[in-house]
Amino acid sequence: MSTSAKLPARRGLRPAHFVFLAWALLLAAMPFLADNYFVRLATFVAMYSALALSWNFIGGYTGYPSFATAAFVGLGSYTGAVLQNAGAPMVVAWVCATLFTGLVAALIGAAILRMKGHYFAVGSITLIEVLHQVASLWSSVTGGGEGLNVPILAGGPDFAGRVFLYAMLVTMLLVWAVTLWVDRSKLGFGLRCISQNEDAADMVGIQVNRYKTAAFTLSALFCGTVGAIYASWVSYISPSDAFSVLLTLKVPAMAMLGGLGTVYGPIVGAAAFVLMEETIWAHFLDYNQAILGVVIVLLILFLPGGFLKIDYRRLWRRPLPVRPAASVTAGGEKGDKAEKAAAPLATFAREGRS
Amino acid sequence: MNLNKHLARLLPLVWLACAGGAGAADEVRIGAPLALTGSLADAGKKQQAAFALWQERVNAQGGIQVGARKLPVKLVSYDYQSDERRAQQLAEKLITQDKVDLMTAPFGSGHAKVVAGVAERYGMPIVAVSSSEPVHNQGYRNLFGTLAPSVGLVDAMIGHFKQNLPALKRVAVLGRDDVFPRIMATTLEKQAPAAGLEVVYSALYPVGSMDHSAALTSLKAARPDWIYVTGYTQDLILVRKQMADLGISAPVVTMITGPAYREFVDGLGPLAEGVTSATWWHWSQNNTGDDVFGSTAAFTEAIRARTGGDPDYVHASSAAALIVLQKAIEAAGSTDRDAVRAQLAKMDVQTFYGRIKFRADGMNDNRELPIIQVQSGKPVVLYPAAMAQGRLQAIGQ
Repeated sequence: MSTSAKLPARRGLRPAHFVFLAWALLLAAMPFLADNYFVRLATFVAMYSALALSWNFIGGYTGYPSFATAAFVGLGSYTGAVLQNAGAPMVVAWVCATLFTGLVAALIGAAILRMKGHYFAVGSITLIEVLHQVASLWSSVTGGGEGLNVPILAGGPDFAGRVFLYAMLVTMLLVWAVTLWVDRSKLGFGLRCISQNEDAADMVGIQVNRYKTAAFTLSALFCGTVGAIYASWVSYISPSDAFSVLLTLKVPAMAMLGGLGTVYGPIVGAAAFVLMEETIWAHFLDYNQAILGVVIVLLILFLPGGFLKIDYRRLWRRPLPVRPAASVTAGGEKGDKAEKAAAPLATFAREGRS
Repeated sequence: MNLNKHLARLLPLVWLACAGGAGAADEVRIGAPLALTGSLADAGKKQQAAFALWQERVNAQGGIQVGARKLPVKLVSYDYQSDERRAQQLAEKLITQDKVDLMTAPFGSGHAKVVAGVAERYGMPIVAVSSSEPVHNQGYRNLFGTLAPSVGLVDAMIGHFKQNLPALKRVAVLGRDDVFPRIMATTLEKQAPAAGLEVVYSALYPVGSMDHSAALTSLKAARPDWIYVTGYTQDLILVRKQMADLGISAPVVTMITGPAYREFVDGLGPLAEGVTSATWWHWSQNNTGDDVFGSTAAFTEAIRARTGGDPDYVHASSAAALIVLQKAIEAAGSTDRDAVRAQLAKMDVQTFYGRIKFRADGMNDNRELPIIQVQSGKPVVLYPAAMAQGRLQAIGQ
């Protein structure tokens, strides 16, 4: 088995594309079908899909456990808000916030991507704290702990609901398009190699630092857009909510829920997560964050490939397996599959030997 | 196809809420996003207790007089888990699905502001229970708040302390860099020179600080005779303990708004002795008013019976928010948003909580705010004279 066997030919139109476009259309049609509560829910689904897809570049394809999502969302929020307050039109502020966030990520990424594994995770989470402190202390620009007002969009709730829904949807579609491109390009191939064995990838001629920085920048770029749109939507941002650690944990959980390193996993995960939050979790108020933790642990243990990697046909044939864990540890083709999903590096090592 | 209906079926919570929402015309519905879990849960639960108490009292009287009819009140509340994003989502839900007539904003300036932003788009009058100046600086027409401006608190305190201790000259300010504590710190800094006080030290500490020893050491070197600290209860307890460790004291130690909370006095024990604060309301004040409680004493008794502890300003301000909504609906004779907003804007009532009259920016323009000091383990009111229970005592004298 060679590495290229893990990269199936994904060119051309696939049914998944149509399902996704239908889903995007449904979200887009929400203002005409349901009330503003559902419009806001759809906006959150689009927003989290965009964030999970963004995280997927670094966390999924490259295999670097980044916790910097909230840092970039916050940076985008503040950049957008400061620009809007300085008189920039809303959309211009969004675009500038996107570019600025990407630029900052490229500079920071070049430095912190030299760390690996846990060290990188800690480094990325520090970024949130550093930016949080900057936002708190640089009061002349950011308003400090008092927060920052953003002009409220005129035109009433229905109009505002639509504007922000479509803005988030467009962002989601943009990240999706970039993901499709990365998935099929040399960049995506290189990132998968880095994820499997960075040293080996380096040895075969992949410029790992450049590739990783590209992935990190891509993962930040649209977080900046989302942050800026969010700031205009809420009309007020404050350091503690803009740089929220909870957000940084939720987004990877969404990507894992759907399926790491796939085009549609993060979208499925984000939608499932938001709907779950809206329905089930509301009934477990005191424990919902503990439940989030348990869900993440269970996912890593039992569903490392996410929803998209479940073999539904097999589930159908054997709806109640006697020992579900057995297939993971047992040898043979099935065991191989499960292991592959759980540990791409181990797979690479084994495949490399064969 | 009615997709809305199908979606609602997919979401059981929404479905339940919709089922409960039938027959909205036969009751007055007031929406309340509350922080019942998460970082603001303590205050959120106080708000919930006061709201429930008010609802019981009003419904026991048959409800609110709306024009010719007396309608029962239904409070529709959700826990937003101290999460800003959920707060907005639930505000939108309250307005569009539960079809509430009016709203209250949650505790905490930041979240109040975000929820007020949603209400503003719908033209929905909303009364905040704990909003400081920065919450009201966005020009929202629908936002009102039952707390008085911080500048009133600070001026009253400076005046009272200078009058009782004319030797007071050097003030040191240490504030938490967060919406309300920050404005209380910066306001004192601004107002102090006019009263002949020199600000000898001034710093803001970031949210989540776990050690204040560096700041306190520089503060000590400035030799202040008035130490003024702002923050939330946990911060203030930590600062006070570290002050004791470092041997820092001053004739006047003010902690905004520590002594207003029972948790502060209980948590510090003897160290709380002598600490002063200004507050918006104290249970020992003696207001009377034409509301469901009638007097401060009656409200205090009711909260004690319900929660087993003394009420603080959060309880009182929360109940007051609903009282003003009730008064506005009764004056307007309807729950029409524009009519209620107009009544709120010109409201001037005496309640158990004190006088409530909103300024143009929506803050409560009440100036008679109590100054308290912990004496013999209990908060004692020093000012205003009409409700004074004791005199200011300098620490260490």
